Amino acid sequence: MTKETFLHEKHVQLGAKMVDFAGWHMPVQYTSIIEEHNTVRNAVGLFDVSHMGEVFVSGKDSLDFLQKIVPQDISKLVYEKAVYCQLPNLDGGLIDDLIIYKLGINYYMIICNASRIDEDLNWMVRNSKGFDVKIDNQSHNYSLLAVQGPKADMLLRKMGLDTAQESFTIKAAELCGHKLLVSRTGYTGEDGYEVLVENKFSEELWDKILEFGQEFGIKPIGLGARDTLRLEAALHLYGNDLDENSTPVEAGLSWSIPKDKIADYNGKKVIMEQLLNGGSKKLIGFKMLDKNIARHGYDVYYNGEKVGVVTSGCVSPVLGANIGLAYVKNVKDICTGSVIQVMIREKLHDAEVVKRPFVAKKNKVKI
Amino acid sequence: MSFTENILCAKSHEYLLKNEDDTYTVGLTDYAVEQLGDIVFLELPEVGVEFGKGEVFATVESVKAASEIYMPISGKVVEVNAALVDAPEQLNEDVFENGWLVKIEATGDASEQDDLLEYEDYKEELE
Repeated sequence: MTKETFLHEKHVQLGAKMVDFAGWHMPVQYTSIIEEHNTVRNAVGLFDVSHMGEVFVSGKDSLDFLQKIVPQDISKLVYEKAVYCQLPNLDGGLIDDLIIYKLGINYYMIICNASRIDEDLNWMVRNSKGFDVKIDNQSHNYSLLAVQGPKADMLLRKMGLDTAQESFTIKAAELCGHKLLVSRTGYTGEDGYEVLVENKFSEELWDKILEFGQEFGIKPIGLGARDTLRLEAALHLYGNDLDENSTPVEAGLSWSIPKDKIADYNGKKVIMEQLLNGGSKKLIGFKMLDKNIARHGYDVYYNGEKVGVVTSGCVSPVLGANIGLAYVKNVKDICTGSVIQVMIREKLHDAEVVKRPFVAKKNKVKI
Repeated sequence: MSFTENILCAKSHEYLLKNEDDTYTVGLTDYAVEQLGDIVFLELPEVGVEFGKGEVFATVESVKAASEIYMPISGKVVEVNAALVDAPEQLNEDVFENGWLVKIEATGDASEQDDLLEYEDYKEELE
């Protein structure tokens, strides 16, 4: 059965086109994907991302447990800070990617992909044997609203939320007597926030953000623009660019992996070895050299040989070009500036390997 | 006389309009374009190419996905809307005046139009 967020009625009222995504009935667009995309790049947009999972980890072995399941060094994560992590299996393949927040002593929150909640929970429970730890899936109790764009900060201040916080910081806040968790994170490459609220207050919060956001040109944004925004910022989408057959090194996530983490973790041997020598494939960014659009699953060629497959592709409204990510054989010849070909409707079309992100990110905010 | 009174529609969302010179104009219905959302790419065939009824003759891509466009009747392409290929977003404005796709000469039997619907019936079918 398809699930609905507590804001489902709002989306329908706003005339959103609804689609099934990861078992949820979600808005793909309200007016136009390109218009919504540009609203987030130039002003501010509001997303319902309540389908995402929230899992709380507590207990005296919380840290040791988290150290075992992610390559990142959670011992360095301080109170109210967040870190982008992956959940590797024993071979280094990715079960999911997630953000871990430290909310207190022996108290953490994990936000994970909607499509992976069950797999993540199973994996975490299996790995928790011998640890004094409580894994509490609260996904069904919380709604998550993302406020993203250059005017997001002004908007939240206008609403009376004290947002004096750096990127990847989470703070408890209160609005009209309702408790919120406000995190300066997002999935668009823009500055912005993700606000966690109990389901029963989600509609009130949604309305309030839209009301206060009017003067900033706010619009509700669907999953369609969420996809084009994240791809311009070269942020990965689980199921497209990440899967259990790809390691974080192959996925281009080496920057997120500490080389000096002492604690052992799942897949460490493979991941550390690949940090030195690379994996069997690598993720590249490319820009089409004609008007064709590369889509997920299209084959990639180099010098007449099939070398890989497109994982994500779309039109970039900001660049006015068509961009994408692909896994290709890990050979030196294929690098920034190389021309590869994508097989589109039985014809090869040239694309240039370019640096990621495709559009400069503006989400690093220091206080 | 409204345009929609004179067209026939395929269930795969193409329209067929008979012109005064006995050629036919083929395009996408307004419903199809609305469902697709922002159109960002269009690939049309060359003049002179023949297609059977139901064959893919063009591809349209929205931000979200690529969709194939099928011939509502068998025909030979006599004209393509080249201006639309350069500005496919115009399809979102209008599917007829500037948004038509190709003009064809029918090469099949008139009975090929039997399963096409009048616009009102096509709309009803969607509901």
